[in-house]
Amino acid sequence: MSNFTIPVGPLHVALEEPMYFRIDVHGETVNNVTINAGHVHRGIEYLITKRNVFQNVVLTERICSLCSNSHPQAYSMAIEQIAGIKVPPRAEYLRAIADEIKRVASHLFNVGVLAHLVGFESLFMHVMEVRERMQDVKESIFGNRMDIGANTIGGVRYDIDPERIGYLRAQLDALVPDVEEIIDLYHTDNSILRRTRGIGVLSHADALDCGVVGPVARAAGVNYDVRVKAPYAAYDRLEVPVHILHDGDVWSRAMIRLMEARTAIDLIRQCLDALPDGPTVATAERPAIPPGEAIAKCEAPRGELIYYVRMTDSPKPERVKWRVPSFLNWDALGIMLKQAKVSDIAIIVNSIDPCISCTER
Amino acid sequence: MSIMPNDIEARLLEAAPAGIQYRATTDDKSVVTAWCTLSSADNLLPVGRRLKDMGARLSTITVFQPKAPPAPPKPKEGDPPPPPVTFFGGIVSDGKGYEIHYHFDIDGDTLTVTAHVGTGGSIDSLTPLYRAADWPEREAMELYSLVVRNHPNPQRLFIDSGIEGAVFERLIPYSTLVNSAASKSIWEKIMAQTGAPS
Repeated sequence: MSNFTIPVGPLHVALEEPMYFRIDVHGETVNNVTINAGHVHRGIEYLITKRNVFQNVVLTERICSLCSNSHPQAYSMAIEQIAGIKVPPRAEYLRAIADEIKRVASHLFNVGVLAHLVGFESLFMHVMEVRERMQDVKESIFGNRMDIGANTIGGVRYDIDPERIGYLRAQLDALVPDVEEIIDLYHTDNSILRRTRGIGVLSHADALDCGVVGPVARAAGVNYDVRVKAPYAAYDRLEVPVHILHDGDVWSRAMIRLMEARTAIDLIRQCLDALPDGPTVATAERPAIPPGEAIAKCEAPRGELIYYVRMTDSPKPERVKWRVPSFLNWDALGIMLKQAKVSDIAIIVNSIDPCISCTER
Repeated sequence: MSIMPNDIEARLLEAAPAGIQYRATTDDKSVVTAWCTLSSADNLLPVGRRLKDMGARLSTITVFQPKAPPAPPKPKEGDPPPPPVTFFGGIVSDGKGYEIHYHFDIDGDTLTVTAHVGTGGSIDSLTPLYRAADWPEREAMELYSLVVRNHPNPQRLFIDSGIEGAVFERLIPYSTLVNSAASKSIWEKIMAQTGAPS
């Protein structure tokens, strides 16, 4: 068997965004992977220091589409800490609802794409159809299907009246049997199991060593979820189960996402049950933001998203730095792909739910 | 509930004998955010090692050049010039030095260790201790002139090797940033090299 090098990307049918992998293979087996990134580097960390605090809520939402709610949320939380703004309880619950709606849609998207890569096209279309219900929810409640514009500094920019709460509950009720059926399918279907069990394994020790987060970490037995470890919004008042599996393979990562999508529905219901009355924003005026620095973290669909913000006496931040979950998960990909079969490369890459726009900024 | 050890300040000071400034806040959800500024950047590795022993995870690294403070009023004739403003540890705050934040996660709580490095300075790599430092350090090296000592793979991360480094330290015209995609200058450049179509 001979050694050769396969270029995958930067434009490739299995990649939704551009990334270049230089894969050294021996016969059908991957020996080494070199990742060449930067194709969608847009200099947003530079741009953000040229916009004022309030303009940046809009800018951060555009870093990425799938976790577009998490960015402005973490950014707003950091600014609120600096300014000492207390977010009203109703807004905290509404933030959690927006977070969980995005999580359901994001996780189902990734799991749907897995079915596509396995070659199970009818399942792919079914999962995407189920996800479409959440897209409808976003469009009906927020007015947009991806960038939902839910957050603002001091609270949220949307509210739900009893009619919309009724609509949301009805959509969730309709979603539950579909999601449970999908979970059952991924548990039992041989087409899925054959291509995902024992594939792209990341051990518990390697997960800790790489510092991976989110479903990638939890599928390798790492018990870490920002919603529980460092609660924000209304999560300190919600019952948040953390799903853990131990095999660290592609299947475990998919199952964690499916179970979290199911849990997210329960979390939205918990929020609707306990939704307090009151204002949705701390102040109708644009608050003055004093000099200071803060850290804020939230659990984006792909894992821990951390923001650091430094303000001086200018209305523009001196520095905003964020690290998205995918940033750490790329490194782990090298371990997952070692000794993998060439035919599994796309499945393994998809299993970290990569977000390249987020990673490169 | 916070698991940040009560004696964390003493433990950090033990690892950083040159001195530290330490402060911590706890929010209304009991999440602790702590800040530790090192007097000497040379103490970074022992502090990193101590935190690793405590089970800390490196979340990310922030690097920036804090703006210089406003110039003091001119001294009266005969008076000595005022001493330069410095960061904790004595590095002069001239707008060109680097402030480097290492954000560690200790089971949900955040500890940020800060080191200051003067213009043209360098700092030890944390990558041998924390694999998660690899990409952030490579990114820091392409955005700034900062040198990270003993980095195992000091290659460019996102920015092409054909582009001059330290992109955050100079003004890049927008037309250059977008590779002239928003204007006709790229077309003019090609025409200048190949000649206009006959």
